[in-house]
Amino acid sequence: MSARLVPPGARELPALTDLRLEVRDFLADQVAAGAFVPHVDTWLTRWDRDFTRELGRRGWLGMVVPTQYGGQGRTYLERFVVTEELLVVGAPVAAHWVAERQIGPSLLRYGTEEQKQAFLPGISRGEVVFGIGMSEPDSGSDLASVRTRAERVDGGWRLTGTKVWTSGAHEADAFFALARSAPLDPDDRHAGLTQFIVDLRAPGVTIRPIVSMGGDHHFNEVHLDGVFIPDERVLGEVGQGWSQVTSELAYERSGPERVLSTFQLLAAAAQAMDDGRLPFDPGLGRHVARVAALHHMSFAVSAALEQHEDADTAAAVVKVLGTTEEGDIADYVDTLTATGWALDEHLDTLLHAAVLQRPGFTLRGGTNEILRGVIARGLGLR
Amino acid sequence: MPAQQDATGADRLAAPTNPDPDLVEVLRDLFADYRATRATPTAVVDLDRGLWQRLEDLGMTRLTGSESAGGSGGGWVDAAALLGLAAAAAAPVPLAEHDLLGGWLLEAAGLPNDGGLRTVCRPDPSGVALNVTWARDASRVVALWEDRDEWRVADVPAERIGIEERRNLAGEPSDTVEFDVDDLEAGALVPHEIGEQFHLRGALARSAQVVGAMERILEIVLVHVRERHQFGRPIGRFQAVQHLVADIASETALARAATDAAVARAAASDWRDPGMLFAVGVAKSCVGHAASVVVRSSHQVLGAIGTTLEHELHTLTKPILARRSEYGSLQDWDETLTTLASSAGHDRLWTLITTGRAKPSHDHRSHAP
Repeated sequence: MSARLVPPGARELPALTDLRLEVRDFLADQVAAGAFVPHVDTWLTRWDRDFTRELGRRGWLGMVVPTQYGGQGRTYLERFVVTEELLVVGAPVAAHWVAERQIGPSLLRYGTEEQKQAFLPGISRGEVVFGIGMSEPDSGSDLASVRTRAERVDGGWRLTGTKVWTSGAHEADAFFALARSAPLDPDDRHAGLTQFIVDLRAPGVTIRPIVSMGGDHHFNEVHLDGVFIPDERVLGEVGQGWSQVTSELAYERSGPERVLSTFQLLAAAAQAMDDGRLPFDPGLGRHVARVAALHHMSFAVSAALEQHEDADTAAAVVKVLGTTEEGDIADYVDTLTATGWALDEHLDTLLHAAVLQRPGFTLRGGTNEILRGVIARGLGLR
Repeated sequence: MPAQQDATGADRLAAPTNPDPDLVEVLRDLFADYRATRATPTAVVDLDRGLWQRLEDLGMTRLTGSESAGGSGGGWVDAAALLGLAAAAAAPVPLAEHDLLGGWLLEAAGLPNDGGLRTVCRPDPSGVALNVTWARDASRVVALWEDRDEWRVADVPAERIGIEERRNLAGEPSDTVEFDVDDLEAGALVPHEIGEQFHLRGALARSAQVVGAMERILEIVLVHVRERHQFGRPIGRFQAVQHLVADIASETALARAATDAAVARAAASDWRDPGMLFAVGVAKSCVGHAASVVVRSSHQVLGAIGTTLEHELHTLTKPILARRSEYGSLQDWDETLTTLASSAGHDRLWTLITTGRAKPSHDHRSHAP
């Protein structure tokens, strides 16, 4: 039993800070030039393929992908500071987010040589856009209950079923789909699942929007009607889908996007407090302190992952605290504003978006209730 | 990727800040032994001179003193580990007051230190200091005195001060001390930054103590939820209880991350980093708010037995609450952070968070080839 859930802290050294400042300068220029308008939750809601390609040109995508696959051959820590800088400035990063964060590392770990050559250079240039297909209408937190079927046919598989909450599927080129390739074994629910690389323009794929409560379209339902998947587009091993999707969760759960989705709102509130448009309130300091501490904690987890240490529980801690905090920031600023007091269109835009996106923060990527269970398991209670 | 390459890459990018593992092992053994042999908890807590002597024999009471002044030459990373482990054992010894604050002030003022037990305080203009922990036990009290625009340090013998004995929430000595103003005016002049740093050092020392106590509470909670059975199973099997425990663990981890980051910044710069005010504020704020969750939820999980005098829990929860109000209330620190954040404004808030100051850090870029 260890009381220490999160790896010990680490100090960022100048080599990393230099990279951070290089990215920060570029982004400040982009904002000044009007290349994008800073916003909240941009890793889900702001697509800009040109911006994504520009990041690729600058070597800030595919950072952990080896150079022989068109990547940068750099470290997770370097990727960490680049993604932090992109998120705090509210840059439009949704087009590459899933591919860059999950698809690339999964291909590196489980993909065939041909698959790596086929997709990694495009991902690293920001030209190939991926989604992810895990949840289904009847499978949310209980992922092992997926019902999308993969049937063996000559030369490959046919996929039939429906995936939901696939962000950006209407813009993406392909997605990873988790499907049941063998009948459910009640004694081993995690067996018989396989990951497939699905071309979203293939015959039999239908994509319908799921419109969010603010009226905007980010999520989709992806219907697969006997879509043919050639053998060379099976990811990893047939039947090993469960361990493949769960083995990479620490990267997905501990990243800065679990803390910083509303940072632009926090920064706007700090400015409004200085300008007297919001009342001076110690709550701002409390939230800034939590964001700062989460920055250290998230960095510590990244440093541990860099050393190939197990960080699943620590990642769950970051995600529970971070996603709660980014939502609490939205609610906090809402409690400070008095309707009819002063018009602040920019603050209102950020605030309204943040409040409407907030419920999703603690749902996506594993609900906080599931994650508290992960933490409890890490503490030996399960 | 070859592991060797990864290690080299990470070494260049991030520096871990861990305390000396040998020191930690010695301290763990010492405090485990102390916990095993101490008397049952009492409502009033007095200095344990036997434990103090053992710590002194190991060089722990002057861990951060320079070796030329009879100290062990340790840094803040080791000192914070010592404070945390001592607080986890609810050890009634004035480590922060005697070494990190009092010992430091004496060295900064160039005053001799005979090694006798010290506590420390900041008397008001009339020479009175409130809530001075362990004052009745000290052979001398180190006073930091703001005299018009100057800061002075006086090392005043116990026989020259008046003490009104009081106790804090934890039942520890927390006395009112009255000095003769002449003694304070005779103190040695110290630079302004010493006066300013005192509050920060005190606040960070308290944070390290509170985090250590919270980590021990998590251990107690984990043992309890496994051993305590209700409805035919350990209460730790109930999801509602698991979520309380997960929140205790998570808040403690966040407080630990904030405290370690401030300690690492202090150690790397010997407190000269201009970002120390922000770093200490982040620690004090996160620790203070975590304390609310940890104290409330640990008592909830432990049930009625955890509210009794004989139980260990209150020996940790009461000092946590006593210490979080020292060296600035939680509200004071949140207001300080609010001022820093709002002056940083929209464009510099992230710079403040990553460096502790709002000025652009371009001047601090490395120019290594």
